[in-house]
Amino acid sequence: MDSITALLEGFATAAQPAYLLYALLGVTLGTAVGVLPGIGPAMTVALLLPLTYSLDPTAALIIFAGIYYGGMYGGSTTSILLNTPGESASIVTALEGNKMARAGRGAAALATAAIGSFVAGTIATVLLTLLAPAIADIAVTLGPADYVALMVVAFTTVAALLGSSPVRGLASLGLGLFIGLIGTDTLSGQQRFTLGVSTLADGIDVVVVAVGVFAVGEALYVASRLRHGPIEVIPVGGRWMTRSFWARSWKPWLRGTFIGFPIGTVPAGGADVSTFLSYAAEKKLSKRPEEFGHGAIEGVAGPEAANNAAAAGVLVPLLTLGLPTSATAAVIVAAFQSYGIQPGPLLFTNNSAMVWALIASLYIGNVMLLVLNLPLVKMWVKVLQIPRPYLYAGILLFAALGTYAVNFVVDDLIVLLVIGVAGFFMRRHGYPVAPLVVGLILGPMAEEQVRRTLQISEGSLSALVTSPFAAVAYGVLVVLLAVAVVVRLRQKKVESLV
Amino acid sequence: MISGKTSEKVEEYAFGGLVAAIGIFTLVDATTIAARADNAVGPRAFPYAVGALLVVTGVAAIVATARGRLGQAEEGEDVDSGVRTDWVTVGKLVAVLVAHLVLIGLVGWPVAAAVLFFGAAWTLGAVWWRALPIAVVLALVVQVVFAWGLGLSLPAGIFEGVPFLDG
Repeated sequence: MDSITALLEGFATAAQPAYLLYALLGVTLGTAVGVLPGIGPAMTVALLLPLTYSLDPTAALIIFAGIYYGGMYGGSTTSILLNTPGESASIVTALEGNKMARAGRGAAALATAAIGSFVAGTIATVLLTLLAPAIADIAVTLGPADYVALMVVAFTTVAALLGSSPVRGLASLGLGLFIGLIGTDTLSGQQRFTLGVSTLADGIDVVVVAVGVFAVGEALYVASRLRHGPIEVIPVGGRWMTRSFWARSWKPWLRGTFIGFPIGTVPAGGADVSTFLSYAAEKKLSKRPEEFGHGAIEGVAGPEAANNAAAAGVLVPLLTLGLPTSATAAVIVAAFQSYGIQPGPLLFTNNSAMVWALIASLYIGNVMLLVLNLPLVKMWVKVLQIPRPYLYAGILLFAALGTYAVNFVVDDLIVLLVIGVAGFFMRRHGYPVAPLVVGLILGPMAEEQVRRTLQISEGSLSALVTSPFAAVAYGVLVVLLAVAVVVRLRQKKVESLV
Repeated sequence: MISGKTSEKVEEYAFGGLVAAIGIFTLVDATTIAARADNAVGPRAFPYAVGALLVVTGVAAIVATARGRLGQAEEGEDVDSGVRTDWVTVGKLVAVLVAHLVLIGLVGWPVAAAVLFFGAAWTLGAVWWRALPIAVVLALVVQVVFAWGLGLSLPAGIFEGVPFLDG
């Protein structure tokens, strides 16, 4: 019961007024960027990185965790109330929630999304509390070959299983790995792919790449096909919580949680897959399947819960293994690294106080988010109506500022522009950007582990697969790929039904 | 005038080709990385793997395009999938960003930032007499916050020596 004591100490830290304020700042920012189209949590964390160097790491990470959780809540408000489809993780919510809002039941849709997110987020955080120390204990015993195996699993799942085109996902991963190679090799001190340019000798900063692909790439892409005319927000109508609301919502919340959390934990596909699976499950179990596609509350409650539970699940491999399985998680790893902390098995021993304060802040953040997103939802409706020219101009300004503030050199802005234009074309042609960011951050770590493995084995490649753990991991990967094919087919079926 | 579908395909080929080309560059340039001969896994091995991945996926993307499997353009709340690509707007935004990075060294960050915000907002359809004051105020506020709040000094340029603005 060591972890309970540690968690209580974490609460004692996180409940200090200063940290409570940081958590509130984080969840508020997170909800805002979740609500606003064009900005996501990954980019927000990246932008704030240079500005938080003056804070202590615990405070900064509490802000980032708040942004991460808050983004999930905010996204559902947008997909329910805006007349256009939203970010991928909440598209299923958009289907049913949007229909409910149009039918004058927007209040119930918002409530089931927010309360479902709260229930799922809290249960998933409990599971994280229980699981993470145990996994960290196992992870300490892993050797470099085992890490290589885990990273191969993460690379493959993020690049090939997510998104519509595995080839394009892998190409995006390759581009990220390539950017990660630029600079000075840590083991041999050799310069690689710097073209003799001195700015490139230190490598390209993660912040510059993340802001480039997310902020500049997104702004250019949206600008190329900007939706003109007034922003149509569906007025919030109907009653908030009735008896039938609770009766129809609570089971989907729980089911969504238990579908979402494991999927987030095993790096097998992230939030998208979990929402689709939850949607399919609710539709199958519903006594009123005919309502699906016309505003069934179960179709909002389940996927929203699954989405949030998956987001919390992603933190398990992130904190215990140092493995990011989504773009935001990758940027959070970069944030840890910028403070000289390596997330992974040793985190729970070396930075115990910090990590438990962080986990405690997740519980607190969830409560704050429930308040921010239910009684205060009208405020976010206003935010949603920011005129788009100013919104995207602001995104570009802060992207340039965040990049410039890393090193105060103009050369970084040139790199930002190049990567932004690349991000623009990637969006046009269905190349997902998340694998690029994950590849950029995990690539150098993977290379180090591969070389360490082969150094120990004196060049024998079989060392990469002969460790029992690594062998199991590769076996699981094969199973995952098979499951993914099945899920993809089912997902197509769900899409064709709605 | 080529139709929208054809030009999209040309772009797809070009991007796939670019990915493969970066892969080839990676493979070729990797041979020039100095490595000790006795070291079994030096700084070259991983670049070779990455280069190969880029070449294979780039070629695969070209093949997929040839077979008619085009990439799905990303959707978004503010993206109108029904309209044609507005290249002029994209070009203007890139130009505004270039102007920003050139101006920082010449006249300082506040002016460069105001130009960036105003230029982008105006390009995207904001009314100029509303965008201009917002841009100026925003740039000055950020400059003051950075100089006084965060202790990071952005180059003040023409405002050098001005209290509050020059950190």
